Amino acid sequence: MAKTSRLGNAWHVCLAAAVAAFIGLSPMAGQAQTAGGDLVVVQSSNPPSLDAMVTSSQASRNITMNIYEPLFGFSENIRPIPILAESVEISEDGKSYRIPLRKGVKFHNGKEMTAEDVKASLERYQKHGATQTMLKPVESIEITGPHEVTLKLTESTPTFLEAFASPRAPAVIIPAEEAGKGPSEIEFIGTGPYKFVEYVPDSHVKLARFEDYSADESHEGIDGFGGKKTAYLDTVTFRVIPEPGAAVAALETGEVQLLEQLPVPTARRLASNADIAVYENMPWAFLTFIFNMKEAPGDNPKFREAVQVALNDEEVMAIATEGLFHLYHGWMYEGSTYDAGDIGKDHYNLADADRAKALLKEAGYNNEPFSILTDSTIPEHGKAAVVIAEQLKAVGINAVINQVDWPTALNIRLQDQGWNGWTLMMGIEPYLGPAALISTLTGAAPHFRANDEQLDALYQELISTDSEEGRKEVFARIQKRLYEFFGIIKLGETGLMQAARANVKGFKPFRFPRVYDVWLEK
Amino acid sequence: MAVEIDSETLSLRREIARARRRGWMLFLRRLGAHRSFRVGFALFSLIVLLAVFADLIAPYDPNKNDYRSLLAAPSMQHWFGTDGFGRDILSRVIHGTRVSLGIGISVVVMTGVFGVFLGMLAGYVRWLDNALMRIMDGLMAFPGVLLAIALAAALGPSALNAVIALTITFTPRTARVVRSSVLVIRELPYVEAAMAVGAGHARIIFRYILANALSPLIVQLTFVFAVSILAEAILSFLGVGPPPPAPSLGNIIAEGRNYLQDASWIAFFPGMAIAAAVLGLNLMGDGLRDITDPRLSAKRDAG
Repeated sequence: MAKTSRLGNAWHVCLAAAVAAFIGLSPMAGQAQTAGGDLVVVQSSNPPSLDAMVTSSQASRNITMNIYEPLFGFSENIRPIPILAESVEISEDGKSYRIPLRKGVKFHNGKEMTAEDVKASLERYQKHGATQTMLKPVESIEITGPHEVTLKLTESTPTFLEAFASPRAPAVIIPAEEAGKGPSEIEFIGTGPYKFVEYVPDSHVKLARFEDYSADESHEGIDGFGGKKTAYLDTVTFRVIPEPGAAVAALETGEVQLLEQLPVPTARRLASNADIAVYENMPWAFLTFIFNMKEAPGDNPKFREAVQVALNDEEVMAIATEGLFHLYHGWMYEGSTYDAGDIGKDHYNLADADRAKALLKEAGYNNEPFSILTDSTIPEHGKAAVVIAEQLKAVGINAVINQVDWPTALNIRLQDQGWNGWTLMMGIEPYLGPAALISTLTGAAPHFRANDEQLDALYQELISTDSEEGRKEVFARIQKRLYEFFGIIKLGETGLMQAARANVKGFKPFRFPRVYDVWLEK
Repeated sequence: MAVEIDSETLSLRREIARARRRGWMLFLRRLGAHRSFRVGFALFSLIVLLAVFADLIAPYDPNKNDYRSLLAAPSMQHWFGTDGFGRDILSRVIHGTRVSLGIGISVVVMTGVFGVFLGMLAGYVRWLDNALMRIMDGLMAFPGVLLAIALAAALGPSALNAVIALTITFTPRTARVVRSSVLVIRELPYVEAAMAVGAGHARIIFRYILANALSPLIVQLTFVFAVSILAEAILSFLGVGPPPPAPSLGNIIAEGRNYLQDASWIAFFPGMAIAAAVLGLNLMGDGLRDITDPRLSAKRDAG
């Protein structure tokens, strides 16, 4: 049985009001869009890079997806759609993808996009891209016309287009003359509705409307990462404000117009403020707990199982997400295409101290320190770690917390030693689907440091299975395997609270704040 | 072989001991009569009692999470309310004072030991004076709290590292106070007399110099204590103090800063505890200074 989030009734009413307000304000309702103005969007951290293809950071994606565009991207309902491509024609044997490009698309430097640029960009991605595995099946990129490329694959890869459309570290198209440059050394030139103006670290990134933007006229309006995009605003400023309290105060005073994220209790309070519209972006992410399977005591599956059955996931989620959560054991969102049903449910949210103690005994656990790596940068991580540590102490595990900042945590968890457990929100992977999620747990650097051979084999089977039905069946076996060796624990699902000034119109919550098709009402 | 002591010496010694006792009694009586010292002492004693008997006084386990009462406002169950984990703020503040006072006392002891040692060395051994004090000046050139933050960040977050960082920060200031007293005292006739009768260095240092340099040192240490509590709060607030979930006054406030508008009690109560402890110490320090400063006491005696 899945439980829903524990939010008060009043909260639901307010949310409903916010949603209703937002539906009422969509452009379809016949409101006149007004051009002009500066929209100030707040996020909590600096983008590590504005070179979209070299980073998978959300702080970067938030901004870069308004500047650059890929050939393919996800639609609103997570299907790959052409963006800079016009269409795609896949050969009978599944090894050749002929991709005609949209014509007349201009880069921010005024140059028209051609097949040359596409080839150069994709080859750069093969060298510097943050998720190079997406182009791994590609043997060659051929120019088959001034506005057409053909991708030759080494073997038929049914999930190729889905992977290729991934926004995790998107394979965006940049001018050929920039593509020869190293990571983050390029001029930030894309084809998107907004162009890059300046980046002042710890302060802001400024974008301006690209007047020569060529919209994709084959759509009515925006659709996911693609569609027909219109830039109404003169400029957009992405401001970096690490303190949520300061960001909220800035929103309340009207100094900024859009918060990419705000604390749930604050969202609750602001819901009654007529000047502010609150948006619930749910489901947004999995909250997970990952073991280092190379270091004792986490190298012992019995120990890991003990942790799994000891955890009271409801308590972890309620505290870590401040009440915005959904309890579900599945490794895909409940009710989504690949949802594998009840597999593993008998191990989820048990809070069974006796069974955990028995398993610890079986594992021969002898009070070795169990160091939980976490960070204070992402509050959910730090809070989940504190609650988990308390719960583990209660069953006799010598849990200690190592709280560092996020970049340090990312660094430490790449080592085989020095950490035993790690709290991680997975936002984009479950969104992208089973292959993207499981790819982080297999291959050369799986999250839990040591490979699980069975899982590796299942992953290969997953990405080489032709039919969706077949992949569903493989994914069910993957979920079963995950609940057998317990390298990673799913704690639950959470959402994202966003808020904007009431005069910000057209905003629709999505995987990144789309600042096109958004306007400021005068 | 026992040394024979004649009766005259014996009675003289008794007389000295009695005089010393009288001096102490007078000192304590003066302190007791000093109003701001009394207030400070009462305030600080209260905090110390809370810290020492935290386990008995705190109504809840300070690390006990309760997701059914997150961010609960102050009530009969939770006098100071609860935080984002559902933990009782009153219990966390009580236990937090223990951490904060523990760090404060450790810093005072370490600073006292190192400060006296270095200050004495600089004041007594002339050729070392310049070298030592220039190093101390170098350390003091950094703003105190900034240096502590940098050190704590470099060493990593833990209570011990906070103590080390604060000790390094406050030792030069203490050493300077001790050195200046030593410089004055070593030229006084009774020290010269002791040297003349052939007293050893150890005896001169401990018996004649240090004993007379104590009062400015004590005043200085009460100041160090107060500033350490503040600095510990700053370090914890910035996340380089004791790691979670251990409560310290600083990290409770740090956790509360995101809820200043939604649950102001989280930051308010530990803030009050810090204010009370620091105020208490400062009032005590003022009192001690008033009583031990000969110029002030001469004025008082005259008036």
